[in-house]
Amino acid sequence: MNTATVNAKKIGGSAIEVRAISKRFGDHVALDNVHLDIRPGELVALLGPSGSGKTSLLRIIAGLEAPDSGQIMFGAEDASRRQAGEREVGFVFQHYALFRHMTVFENVAFGLRVVPRARRLARGVIAERVTKLLELVQLGWLADRYPSQLSGGQRQRVALARALAIEPKVLLLDEPFAALDAKVRKELRRWLRALHEEVKLTSVFVTHDQDEALELADRVVVMSAGKVEQIGAPGDVYTAPASAFVHEFLGDTNRLACRVAAGRVLLADGGVLGRAEAPDGEAIAYVRPHELDVVPSADAPAVIHHASTFGPLVRLIVAFGATNLDVAMPVERWVRLGLSVNDRVDLAARYGAVFTDPAGPAARLLPMVPGAPFAAAVRLQGAGRRA
Amino acid sequence: MAQASALGRPRRVIPGLGLSFTITTSTLAALVLLPLAAMVAMSLSKGLPAFVAALADRRVLAAFRVTILAALGAAVVSAVCGMLLAWVLTRYRFPGRRFIDAAVDLPFALPTAVAGIALTALYAPNGWIGALLEPLGITVAFTPLGIGVALVFVGLPFVVRAVQPILEDLPADEEEAARLLGATRTQIFLRVIMPAAAPALITGFTMAFARGLGEYGSVIFIAGNKPMLSEIVPLLIVIQLDQYNYVGAAAIGTAMLMVSFVMLMVINRLQAWAAAR
Repeated sequence: MNTATVNAKKIGGSAIEVRAISKRFGDHVALDNVHLDIRPGELVALLGPSGSGKTSLLRIIAGLEAPDSGQIMFGAEDASRRQAGEREVGFVFQHYALFRHMTVFENVAFGLRVVPRARRLARGVIAERVTKLLELVQLGWLADRYPSQLSGGQRQRVALARALAIEPKVLLLDEPFAALDAKVRKELRRWLRALHEEVKLTSVFVTHDQDEALELADRVVVMSAGKVEQIGAPGDVYTAPASAFVHEFLGDTNRLACRVAAGRVLLADGGVLGRAEAPDGEAIAYVRPHELDVVPSADAPAVIHHASTFGPLVRLIVAFGATNLDVAMPVERWVRLGLSVNDRVDLAARYGAVFTDPAGPAARLLPMVPGAPFAAAVRLQGAGRRA
Repeated sequence: MAQASALGRPRRVIPGLGLSFTITTSTLAALVLLPLAAMVAMSLSKGLPAFVAALADRRVLAAFRVTILAALGAAVVSAVCGMLLAWVLTRYRFPGRRFIDAAVDLPFALPTAVAGIALTALYAPNGWIGALLEPLGITVAFTPLGIGVALVFVGLPFVVRAVQPILEDLPADEEEAARLLGATRTQIFLRVIMPAAAPALITGFTMAFARGLGEYGSVIFIAGNKPMLSEIVPLLIVIQLDQYNYVGAAAIGTAMLMVSFVMLMVINRLQAWAAAR
């Protein structure tokens, strides 16, 4: 593949700076004073549930929507003063938006052909560049087809080639994989990551799929209700979520209402979940399924409802009061415990997050005795209930 | 059908081909083909020379010229204005939009004679619009231009109703994509919107044109019907009938039929070509 020549002039693209962008649609606040710094050549995911404002932000960066206030900078240049067509932005639409009556070749060539005649490349140069781009997305053999004759994955790659044809400063992708089936999605995701490694163009993509964001992006911007909740490397947002929302949105998790008293995290029935350095009072504890453990105990409050084995993990549904908790553990441990459905168990957290303020940072939830979590949990939980 | 498959004929998924085919062809024959065949037979009943003689008249040829040119011109104007109207109705939200949308259908429902009288009143030299055009040296009523105005009135809704659904279904993201790739408004219209709308526009043009060729009621009031100048073919047929010259009327009708058929076929080809692109 010959990517270097295609984008040689603009490797890296420009930095994107989102300055205090706000946008309302009627009464609905789509974006509320959003700030964002994206470095040249970075691949950033805007992650959030639908209605979090991520697509609005992408469209504002592209110039397809006008913000109510705020600025978009591409490098040192104020892009908000420019029309969408003058921003030199490559945009890949969720449903590709290929021109139906044009062949694949004509689609990719479009952005080069609409340039005013004085600046337009010669016909042969355009053909050469389009051919190179189609090779880059591995679709050279489909140049004469129409979009309706292509599969979803192929259309997506044509859309990408069309966006790259104008040598954009930044590449924006709106839910690029949402309309594809699971297998194609995974392949295309890896392929896009590899392409980005080669082209190194500043790229922003919108997704509601956490796996996609965590696997693909250099940095993830988690959004909720028009605000940025957290910006960080995929590992950081997963292990050190800045708010209850981020923890809940990223990865499977269990939500437990609890109470903090003298550094101990107590469940509703008085059982001890673990310890945390948090102020006393009501709190919410989040524990991911693989961080939650069960221990056999005849008079315990929780009951195993369901157990299913596939792959290396056993997944349990444990009823605790009115809530169902997910627990995941290695098959070997499940066999060693010798438990079965309807057995009573105590709960213990190996690791988790305790939020006394849902919008604030978490206190780390740790086992009562460091280094000996399981034995300690059994002993102390029994003690806690008697107390 | 079970018997049919026993005889080795392939069984069809949708039953009832025989019945529906019979109904379709007999209806078509009784209502369309038979009267047309009768007309052709009548036109030739006194032999080919009489047929040719009936058409070779200068007044008849002039009427054909006026009719075809007026219908073509009106269809072109209808196509342009109809496209514009459909565009405005689909792309903009403004007070009274639904009213205008409904009013587009009025020429379909209105008796064309009523429309003709109304247009004549407006465009006559002392009418509201005619009085404004008079100082500019433009006379609409009682000229071929008047015929065109009447034909635009009846032809416009065909174009609007053909193009409107296509424009409504046109995905906004294709236009946005073109915008982001640097296309100007004109380029977006010509390269993205028009290719998608062209087949429907040609359909609307064809229907407006076909309607214009046969239109009678709205035209005869505003045309003035001056022989050699503003007399249309359908009127000529009526005049022949009034004079009990049935063969002459049938001959003109047959010629009209052939001309329409050829022109519609050409347009159909054009449309197939546009749709294939």
